Amino acid sequence: MLTSHFFILTLFAFLVSIAFSLLMRNTRKEQIRFAILAFACFIGSAFVIGWLMFPFPS
Amino acid sequence: MAVKESTRGKEDAFSAIPPCISAWLVPGLGHVMLRRPYRGAIFFSVVMSLFAAGLALGGELFPFDRSELLTLLAAFAEVGVGLPYFIVDILGLGRGEVTAVTYEYGYTFLIVAGLMNMLIVLDVFDIAVGRKD
Repeated sequence: MLTSHFFILTLFAFLVSIAFSLLMRNTRKEQIRFAILAFACFIGSAFVIGWLMFPFPS
Repeated sequence: MAVKESTRGKEDAFSAIPPCISAWLVPGLGHVMLRRPYRGAIFFSVVMSLFAAGLALGGELFPFDRSELLTLLAAFAEVGVGLPYFIVDILGLGRGEVTAVTYEYGYTFLIVAGLMNMLIVLDVFDIAVGRKD
């Protein structure tokens, strides 16, 4: 059973980034660039939000 | 002139119905029908991966329960994935493990798979009517 939160996050970000890049961009170069940017934003925002929530009691 | 364009627009919209229905039933098939097999294969892989991961994570295929609005909305989102939804439902899978740590992740994957396929259907429509390459 998959229980690693980070792995699940990465899998989700990877799949959704690819789909959005194909839906929102037309040329291959733009699609690759958009997919990488979207993936980085997914992972980066998760880390930022995670650290912002760090002071709150669990 | 305007009448002719309007008529042609309606014809285009009608001709877009079969690929849109195909795209809903089998993710990516609409793009294959519109001679975009590369995109179709990737969309199929992405949607089916999300759907399979959702099931593997213990996600639930929600019932069409009118008394619970959020459950009803989730069910509509999940049915967006098309034929795989009905096959999995008939096989009795997708009952969901509420006690699983990854239960929420699972149904999120399933919901996103359905919503993603709905966006793909809209993309097929845009291509079919000539709004997009």
